Amino acid sequence: MNFFSFHLMPWPYLPPPRQFLAEHEAAWVTLPNTEYDPVRGRDLYDRYLGELVMAEELGLDGVVVNEHHQNAYGLMPSPNLMAAALTQRTERVKLCVLGNALPLYNPPTRVAEEMAMLDVLSGGRLIAGLVVGGGPEYYSYNVDPTEARARFSEAVELVLQAWTRPGPFSFDGEYYQLPYVNPWPRPLQQPHPPVWVPGLGSPGTIAFCAERGFGYMGVAYYAPPESFARQALAYHEAVSLAGRAFVPELLGWLTTVYVAETDEQALEEAAPHLAYFQGNLAAGFVGAGKVWMPPGYIEAPALVQFLAELRAMAGAPRPSDPKEAVWRRTPLVGSPETVRQRLLDYVKELRIGTVLSLLQFGSLPAELTAKSMHLYATEVVPYVRKEADDHFATLAGTP
Amino acid sequence: MTTLDTAVVPTDVGTVDLEATDLSSLEVEGRQVLVASFGQGMPLLYLHGLCDLHSVLAPEHPPTFLSALAGWGRVVAPALPGYPGSSPLGRLHEMEDYVFHLVDVLEALVLDDQPLAVMGHCLGGWLATELALRRPDLVSQLVLLAPLGLHVPSSGVPPVFGALAPRGVGGFAEARRILFSDPDSQPALAALPDDMAESQQLRWFGGLAGAAAIGWKAPHFQSRRLAQRLHRVGAPALVVCGGRDALVPAALRSAWTAGLAGAQALEVPDAGHALVLEQPGLADVVTAFLGWR
Repeated sequence: MNFFSFHLMPWPYLPPPRQFLAEHEAAWVTLPNTEYDPVRGRDLYDRYLGELVMAEELGLDGVVVNEHHQNAYGLMPSPNLMAAALTQRTERVKLCVLGNALPLYNPPTRVAEEMAMLDVLSGGRLIAGLVVGGGPEYYSYNVDPTEARARFSEAVELVLQAWTRPGPFSFDGEYYQLPYVNPWPRPLQQPHPPVWVPGLGSPGTIAFCAERGFGYMGVAYYAPPESFARQALAYHEAVSLAGRAFVPELLGWLTTVYVAETDEQALEEAAPHLAYFQGNLAAGFVGAGKVWMPPGYIEAPALVQFLAELRAMAGAPRPSDPKEAVWRRTPLVGSPETVRQRLLDYVKELRIGTVLSLLQFGSLPAELTAKSMHLYATEVVPYVRKEADDHFATLAGTP
Repeated sequence: MTTLDTAVVPTDVGTVDLEATDLSSLEVEGRQVLVASFGQGMPLLYLHGLCDLHSVLAPEHPPTFLSALAGWGRVVAPALPGYPGSSPLGRLHEMEDYVFHLVDVLEALVLDDQPLAVMGHCLGGWLATELALRRPDLVSQLVLLAPLGLHVPSSGVPPVFGALAPRGVGGFAEARRILFSDPDSQPALAALPDDMAESQQLRWFGGLAGAAAIGWKAPHFQSRRLAQRLHRVGAPALVVCGGRDALVPAALRSAWTAGLAGAQALEVPDAGHALVLEQPGLADVVTAFLGWR
């Protein structure tokens, strides 16, 4: 059982959601970058990196950084730079870059090179996340979204060959033609670092991971946990269809976590920052306003369904109990007892071997982040780890 | 350059005896192509645009403008690659591939008249021009309605797909604003209603993906090479633009008429980009230019 600390490194200084949405359509693509203050940004990077270092000190298994462009949602256009900093500030934890958006790199051998550097720098601690990239990124980077999946698939092939095939060799693809593929350095982990792919439930991505033996990390911090459960079951099915043994660690749940002394306190402390996360930062990606989902990035029927779900979510009556309103989408907000029991239930039921916990979200300040991380690492993780490991051990060998 | 500054009067469609749409699916080099045709007589190849037949209107319900033309000749309108009924581009990545796809389509159609009158609206206008440049032998007359495709240094990169991006809640007002002179007019609301039915959403988003495959990286419907080649168009041409077209602003409208020496040019002062939906009366201008009346 793996417990990772996932960080988005968001910009926390936007006005409250209601005011923000009156002034701006979205936090993505076109939110003026004059809203970013580099002086505050410097302190913020320092704080956020410190929170990932703290995850190691608290005994978690790994830390996760990720790539986003031109938004307030995540301030890591180059997650590899952050991972490089972490190679120097951590000693033990796995460093997961989840991921590099391959179609945005030309040639994608750049990713093979940088990730090999990170693997060597970290002494073989890299987990290589490879990703198609979010819809908004295609507007920001002006990459043809109708080619996104095909480019991604070819680029994965190129990166894997670059890591494993003795160079120099030539690569003759539909999108990438390279006479000399011969990256120095090569990764320390052989034949190559583990590959994880984040996804929102696209059947194509799930099947791709299952067939290739890649980890599938379900991104589920906006949707109710049922949405992730569907992804997890689809992954189980795809793995068995691919004729592979199920490895729990390769199924990950990316979810928001906040732990406080009591349920009431946790809900009260987390609520404004969850609202900022969902109302401000996710605007432009999900929500009532502009949805930066480019044509051809997903098939038209999937897009129509996605929009219908957004409308249903926006139109759904809010539960009258404010607790239920928070727990509907973020069940892992509560006391240590609540969070560990719920987490263990999901872990056992869905056989999730990796939990990527978003321990800082939205505008959650440093003190609350640190307090929650301590409680999570001391009161939740050891318990769930032991129970889950025992549970998986009894299941070992069963399909 | 001749400027026809006549006011465009809506055609009285009540007087036109409409033929039913004839729909057929061609197989061209392993790709399916849905072809809608209307009317009888002299053929006119029609290449549609972003907000048009095939893209927002089902081929069974052509816009009044095309129905009016069909009273005088035969309009043959393939759905472009990626649009509902036609296979996506697949290995077609560039304009070069696209034009030769159109040549394949023309050959498969076996139309009597070669060369042929070709009319294009919006995206279709760009394609018609590129076809006329590469295969002048196939094009006898060229009608360009609010054509995309041209670039001039001052025109900037238009954020077409950004403006057409959907909203979680709230409909298609922004798309109507950039495509129509009046976003609340009947043609605009009929084409892109806020409460768009699922079948129409599938057509609209599916079509945009087809358009993105050629328009996203041109970049954004603006060929950097077209202006310097435009003088090579030999066929007699008619260029019609709206005076309030947000996608073909004044600088581009001038560049079209300057580049196509000898072309007839018409500007409809109050029209937006979606000429074919907004201006059914243009049928009179087009049939006169084609010599159909």
